Amino acid sequence: MAMHRGRGIAAIEYPTGMNQNGDPSQAWIKLKMDGRVDVFAGTVDIGQGSKTVHSQIVADTLGVPMDWVTMDTSNTDSSAFCMGTFASRGTFIGGNAVRLAAEKVRSRILEIGGELLEIDPGDLEIIDGEVIAKGSPDKKIGVGDIAGAATFVKGELISGQGTALKDYATLDPETGAVTIPPHSAISYAACAVEVEVDEETGDVRVIKMSQVYDVGCAINPTMVEGQIEGGAMQGLGLGLLENCYPYYPSNDHRGGQFGSYLAPSMEDLPELECIILENPSADGPFGAKAIGEMANNAQPPAIASAIYDAVGVWVTELPITPEKVLRALEAKAAGIPESVTTGKVVRYDEALSITSHQSADAAVTFAV
Amino acid sequence: MKAVGARLPRYDANEHVSAGTRYVDDVRIPGTLWAKALRSPHDHAEIVSIDTSAAEAMEGVHAVVTYKDVHKNIHGHIEGLGVPGDEPLLAETHVRYKGQPVAAVAADNEELAVRATEAIKVTYKELPSLLDVRKAFDGDAPQVHHWGNWYPHFEGEMDRRQIRKGDIDKAFEDADVIVQGVYRPAAIEHIPMETQVCQVVPEAGGRFVVYSATQAMYFSMGVVAAHLNWPLNKLKFVGGTTGGGFGGKVDTATETITTLLAIKSHRPVRWRWTRMEEFLCSSTRAPWHMEIADAVTKDGWILGRKMLTLHDAGAFARFSPYGVTKHAFHHTGAYTIPNLEFNGFVVYTNRIPTTAMRGFGVTSVSFATETHIERIAQTLGMDPIELRMKNATRLGDTSPNGIPYVDPSTVPVIQAISNAAGFELPAHYRTMTSAMRSGEDLPAHLVAQMGNPEDH
Repeated sequence: MAMHRGRGIAAIEYPTGMNQNGDPSQAWIKLKMDGRVDVFAGTVDIGQGSKTVHSQIVADTLGVPMDWVTMDTSNTDSSAFCMGTFASRGTFIGGNAVRLAAEKVRSRILEIGGELLEIDPGDLEIIDGEVIAKGSPDKKIGVGDIAGAATFVKGELISGQGTALKDYATLDPETGAVTIPPHSAISYAACAVEVEVDEETGDVRVIKMSQVYDVGCAINPTMVEGQIEGGAMQGLGLGLLENCYPYYPSNDHRGGQFGSYLAPSMEDLPELECIILENPSADGPFGAKAIGEMANNAQPPAIASAIYDAVGVWVTELPITPEKVLRALEAKAAGIPESVTTGKVVRYDEALSITSHQSADAAVTFAV
Repeated sequence: MKAVGARLPRYDANEHVSAGTRYVDDVRIPGTLWAKALRSPHDHAEIVSIDTSAAEAMEGVHAVVTYKDVHKNIHGHIEGLGVPGDEPLLAETHVRYKGQPVAAVAADNEELAVRATEAIKVTYKELPSLLDVRKAFDGDAPQVHHWGNWYPHFEGEMDRRQIRKGDIDKAFEDADVIVQGVYRPAAIEHIPMETQVCQVVPEAGGRFVVYSATQAMYFSMGVVAAHLNWPLNKLKFVGGTTGGGFGGKVDTATETITTLLAIKSHRPVRWRWTRMEEFLCSSTRAPWHMEIADAVTKDGWILGRKMLTLHDAGAFARFSPYGVTKHAFHHTGAYTIPNLEFNGFVVYTNRIPTTAMRGFGVTSVSFATETHIERIAQTLGMDPIELRMKNATRLGDTSPNGIPYVDPSTVPVIQAISNAAGFELPAHYRTMTSAMRSGEDLPAHLVAQMGNPEDH
C-alpha cells in the first residue's frame, strides 16, 4: 500500500449581484421616540448572517451603538422589496439599501439637532448616539432626545428609505458584448490544497486547505471566515464526494437519504487557513464585495490538480471518487496515454467528448 | 465604537444552536390540514386521464387540486427577465420527469393525505426519455419538448448564449499548441437541514398568510400571485428565517400548491416535504458538460479559447438561461483571453429540473478553466503559477463581454496563496501588481483588448 501526497492550487473570480443588473433592494428605517432604530428590509437571512451585517452598516452610517439597531425582515407587509438572497447580493446590494436609508435618517437627525442646538447641521456629527458640535464636544444632544422632540414637540416621524438599483446591462446576442458592467463588483480568491491519495484504494483525503479571499471590506471578519470555511467543505463535497446521479447520465440508483448520499462531514474536515484581502470596491457599502457563493468554487480544481501531483492522473468528471481514481491509475499502468497529439492539437478526454457520443447528423458539435 | 470591521457575534447564533429559533415548521395553527402531492412515476409519459373522484370522496380529505384549479398553470419564475415559462405547476398533458407533481391533496392528517394521493387514478402512456446531454442534438434523439431539446429564447430568439471576441481564427493559426479537454461536474443536492416547507392560513377579508422558508419573499409572493392572477395585497408572506437554502429555496416549490389547497379547503394547510422527497424530488445543482480548446504560445500566453457548454437543465428551463449567461460572462476565469468563441446551450433532459445553487453558473467554469490551465502548463512544461500570473486579469484588461476590469485581484490572491502554501514565485511575479499592463506584461496580442477602467 502506498500513500502519495500532492499539492494543487486554483485562482478564481466571482461577480457580485444579479447578472445584467437591475436587481433592486429597498429598505426603510424609522426611529423610536428614544432614538432606537427600526430597519425594515426584505433580505432573508438564510444563515449567512445578513441581519447582523446590515445592522453593522446601519449603526456606523448613523453613528449609533450597534445594539440600538433592530432588523425586521419578517414579512412582506412591513418590509420593503428585495429581489432575494441569491447572486451573492445580500451584503453589497441589500447593504447599500440600508446604508442609503440610514444616510437619509442621519441627515434628518442632524437637521433637527441643528435646530435644537442652534448650530448649522454641517458643523455637527453623530458619535455613539450623540449629536456633537465638531470641535466643541460640550455642545451636544442625544439622538434619543432628538427623536423624542420630533415625536412629542415637532410632530414628526424621523424616517428614511433607500433603494439600491443599477441600470440594466443589455447585451448583443451575437457577441455577448454589453455597454455597462453586468455586475456590481468582482471578488477574487485562491485556494491551495494538500491531499493524500491511497494508490491501492483510490481514496483521497484533503489534509490541508489554505484560502485567500479578496472581499473588498470584511464588514464582519468572523462571518467572512464562516463563509470561507463552510464553502470550503461544500467545495470538498463537490470535488470528492457528492453526486445525485452516481451513474450519470442514468438517473438510476439515486440516494434518497443521508445514508446513501455522501455529503462531507466532520471527519472530512481538513486543516483550514483563511486569509482575507481588502481591495475595496468603488460602490459597495464601506467598499465591500461579495463572499457568499464563490466560497465553494476554488476547491474542486485545486483538489484535481493535487491528485495529479500525487499520482499523475487527471480525473475531470466530478466527484473524484476512489473508483474513478483507480480506473485512471489502471489506464496509466496499461500505458494508455492521457492525451493524444495530432499536429499541434493536444487532446485530453477524447472518450468524454461530445464527438465520441453523438451521431453523425447531430445539429451541434464541437470541432477545433 | 465602530461596528464595521468588528468581529461581532451573529444576533441569532445562540437561538440556532439551542433550538430557540422558530422556523416555518414550528408555527402551529389549530385546524391545519396536511398536504401531499401525487408525483409522476415515469421519466417521460403522456397523461391519458386523471381521475380524482375516489380521493375526493374520502372522509377527512378536504381538497384535491389538479392543473384545472390553477388560473395560470404555466408561469416562468423569471418571465420578467425575458425567460418564457415552460413548466406547469401541476402536470397537464405530459410528465417530463420522475417526481413531477400531478395532483395534490389536503387532508386531516399526513397518513390520510398519503392514502388520498394513492386513490387518484392516472393513466399514462410512456414515452422514450432523454438523459444524456451529448445525445440531445442527434436527429433521432427522444424529444423532451415539442419545440426541441434545447432552450430557444435567448435574446434575438437565439438558441444559444454566444460570446464572440477578437479574431478567433487568427489566434488558432498563431498558436504553437492547442490544448483541448472535457470537464463534467456532477449534480449535487442542496441538503438544507430544513426540507421544503410552508404553511398557508386563510385570514379575514380574503387574505392568505403564507409562512414560507423562501430565500426571496417578494420573489416567491410574485410567483404565487402570478399563478393565481391575484394582486399582491391578497397575500402576506411571513418569512425571513430559513433553515438552509444554498439556492434551492429560490424555487418557490411549495407555496403556490399549498395556497391552492387552502383556498379550496378554506382551512390552514401545511406542506412539509419528507427527507426522501427533498433528496429525490427537489431541484439539484446542474450537471455540466464543458469542452475547452485553448490556443497557446510556447512561452505561456493564452491567445484564444473555443468553448462548448451544455447545461443539463433537466425537464424545464427555470433559471438555467440566466445561469448559462453568467457562465458565459465568466468563462475565462480570473484571466485575460483576447479572442473567444463560446457557445452555451440550455439542454433539456428528462430529469428533475436543476436550479440555482451556490456559485450558480460559475462553479462549473471555475473547475473547467482551472483544471485546464494546469494541463496547459503541463503540456508546455511550464510552472502553472507562472502561467496564471502571466495571463492574470489586470486593470484595464477586458472581460469576455468587453468591459474593462476595475478592481482585479488575481495577482494579489495568487501572491498571497503562494506565500501561505510555500510555492516559490519568480522575482518578476513576486513584485507584480494589478496595475495596467506595460513592458513585457503587454505583448502585442493583448493591446487591442485593453479598455479604459475610468469609463466605468
